[in-house]
Amino acid sequence: MLGKLLKYEIKATGRIFLPIYLALLALTIITKVLLMIAMPDVFLDSTSGTSFDIPLGISVTLYFIIIVALSVMTLIVIVQRFYKNLLTDEGYLMFTIPVETWKLIMSKLIVGLMWTFVCVFTVALSILILALGNFSIMEMNQGISMLYAEFQNQFGMSPNILIAEFIILMIVETVASVLMIYVSIAIGQLFSQHRIMAAFGAYIVISIVLQIVMTLLIALIPAFGLEYLMNSQINQMKAVEVFINGITVFNIISAVAFYFITNYILKNRLNLE
Amino acid sequence: MEILRAKGLTKKFGNLTALSNLDLEIPRGRIIGLLGPNGSGKSTFIKLATGLLVPTSGEITIAGATPGIETKAMVSYLPERTYLNDWMRAEDMIAFFGDFYEDFNRLKADNMLRDLNINPGDRLKTMSKGTKEKVQLILVMSRDAELYLLDEPIAGVDPAARDYILNTIITNYKENASVIISTHLIADIEQVLDDIIFISQGEIKLLSTVDDIREKHNKSVDGLFREVFKC
Repeated sequence: MLGKLLKYEIKATGRIFLPIYLALLALTIITKVLLMIAMPDVFLDSTSGTSFDIPLGISVTLYFIIIVALSVMTLIVIVQRFYKNLLTDEGYLMFTIPVETWKLIMSKLIVGLMWTFVCVFTVALSILILALGNFSIMEMNQGISMLYAEFQNQFGMSPNILIAEFIILMIVETVASVLMIYVSIAIGQLFSQHRIMAAFGAYIVISIVLQIVMTLLIALIPAFGLEYLMNSQINQMKAVEVFINGITVFNIISAVAFYFITNYILKNRLNLE
Repeated sequence: MEILRAKGLTKKFGNLTALSNLDLEIPRGRIIGLLGPNGSGKSTFIKLATGLLVPTSGEITIAGATPGIETKAMVSYLPERTYLNDWMRAEDMIAFFGDFYEDFNRLKADNMLRDLNINPGDRLKTMSKGTKEKVQLILVMSRDAELYLLDEPIAGVDPAARDYILNTIITNYKENASVIISTHLIADIEQVLDDIIFISQGEIKLLSTVDDIREKHNKSVDGLFREVFKC
């Protein structure tokens, strides 16, 4: 059943994203073409002042607007699919199909994360396409290997582990942020009035609680504080690693808590209008 | 075994008691009218049976099981709200029901849509409120369920469609299935009911077969309702 839920979730969200991604693709191509005409070779100083400057300016502006719009839409869709599909009138259908509540939450989460990664990946790819030809790949490779060598030299370790750990932190943090939105909406629907306001309130309260817990943890267990780690005897990069992994673990714990609270509320305290 | 059983069923919302200590057994093969004034606990009772709400105390079982995915698969529920996604077409909803309910009968749905002149390719957004309600009822009645819970099924549709819908309800359920219809439009549905439950302020006031009412009270259900709930 999770597969079927995912299918409908992708269908419902895809129709919103498809036009935006098509617009992004079109603008990337147009901007790229205009860039190639207006600045055929950046290495040989640009031929600025050509008649292509204005269309290029417009195209670049639109390009940035569409990227911002895409990011904002991704967030809006994550919030709206959870709220509208589960907790307004549509919830009467979703909670009476023979599917476990956790699968409903999971289907929203998985598809929400999928669009987040598609968004990040597409924007990165698009920027790369625009930049292509404006720099030499060989030079970039050389630059990167130099950085690697220097890092290895200074800290006695490859930055790969650190980068991997950082990427894991980013992923875990994205999951936790989405679940934090879900749990806030779930708490908001417990109220009979002003549910959206209550959801915002819940979000703020949870943020504050997390801040307090974080501060307490650092105060109680000095090993969590970056400052302590930096001043301690261990290698500085090891300290950064401990810090990154500490936040990762903290995020995993909060994400699990958010998930179970959301599931409990939707299962036992559902309060559809 | 009875299709639905409630024992000491109680639901409170804060200080408000919506249902209090309800004991009830609903046998198979009956059409039951759940009748009561607004706010009497009709919808709360139905929502408890669907699993949308969890009882404060007491229990409710469908074919012996507490509400969960097992009972959701055999209960066909028509809420008082329209839950259709605006951006979908009627045929998308049919596909959705076919995907999630094993007992969904596509042929029935197609026939009913044709009878009511609804084009399956039409977007729900372009349909009137009454048409949407018809689509929703068609979806719900196209399932070969064990128990149908219909919350105000005819409130929003015109009298002509009402007859068709009532006819659909009585002809579309299996012999061993039961139908619970909650409404305050009693006169319109009286002729299809086998039993009635009068409910008020979260308590059962009267539970009887329609025949008994006619014999004992020498009144129509509608007449008796007006008498019992006289303001």
